Amino acid sequence: MPLTKGFAISIVALILGLLMAFQFRTHQLPVTVIPTDRAQALTQELKELHKELNALSVEANDLEAKLLKAQKGVEEARAALDNEITKNNMLAGLVPVKGPGVELVLRYAPQDKPSTHLFTLRDEDLLRVVNELRAASAEAIAINDQRIVDITEIRLAGSYINVNLTRIVPPYRIVAIGNPEELRKMLEMPDGVVPTFHDWGIDVELKTVDEIEIPAYQGNLEKRFARPATKGGGA
Amino acid sequence: MWMSIWLAVIGLAAGVVIGLNLPLFLPQFYSKYLGIAILAALDSVFGGIRAAMDDRFDNLVFLSGFVGNALVAALLVFIGDRLGVDLYIAAVVAFGVRLFQNLAMIRRRLIHR
Repeated sequence: MPLTKGFAISIVALILGLLMAFQFRTHQLPVTVIPTDRAQALTQELKELHKELNALSVEANDLEAKLLKAQKGVEEARAALDNEITKNNMLAGLVPVKGPGVELVLRYAPQDKPSTHLFTLRDEDLLRVVNELRAASAEAIAINDQRIVDITEIRLAGSYINVNLTRIVPPYRIVAIGNPEELRKMLEMPDGVVPTFHDWGIDVELKTVDEIEIPAYQGNLEKRFARPATKGGGA
Repeated sequence: MWMSIWLAVIGLAAGVVIGLNLPLFLPQFYSKYLGIAILAALDSVFGGIRAAMDDRFDNLVFLSGFVGNALVAALLVFIGDRLGVDLYIAAVVAFGVRLFQNLAMIRRRLIHR
């Protein structure tokens, strides 16, 4: 028999041996080999999850944009609220204000003592002054650095006058912010407060000022009994 | 005649040794194909030995038979997989029958030498 023929047989036998060894090893292998269908299922699942991931990231971007917008809105709202609070504080007299206005100083003649003077300045007199100033559209008023707010009392207590529960002593310095000329005219009109005080022999000093500062109200504005009657409290 | 058997045995042993030491792994999915290929190879080897004993061994017939049988068997497995029919059984049966026939012929030749 020629050698080539035997060679062919041995080659095929070699391949046979190889295949058998492979098969043997494949079947000997522990179950770490993943079954095909399982692998396919997992691949499918992976694909699905990738798709889901994409969708979710799109959604996340969307939500982030919304969140950003909302945050911007919050900032704007906060700024608006701050503005509102500042405005309300100013209206309530809780912040110092400044502007043009008048300054009215009332003092007794130097030799007089408050308790013995014939024309003692009483709480009503100061109230009148405040009233006149308000009638002339004064926007902020203070007596001896006591800010006049909506709950301020001006009241005689013994021989002294209390403003904001604080005793004030002469000379009384009343300052008001508003149109200076209007305020001055209102105070100086015939039979008004200034001529009257003059008649009483009280040293009255009235001048308009371009810039005057009025301090904030120091007390507590909290209401214990009153509450808003309209929903939302109104404007 | 004996030479062909020895050559076959030597080739087989070499193949096994090489196969066991190769760092290659076939996925389980292909084990069906591998089994059919083994059957085809077994059939070819026994056919070849028998032909060699009859002194009518032909290299071309032998090799074309081996390659062709293996390919057709693999095709059958593939088609069977696709159709949901175990077509590879046909190949197993055919190869098995021929294998035993060849074995029987070889046995007789060896006994009635």
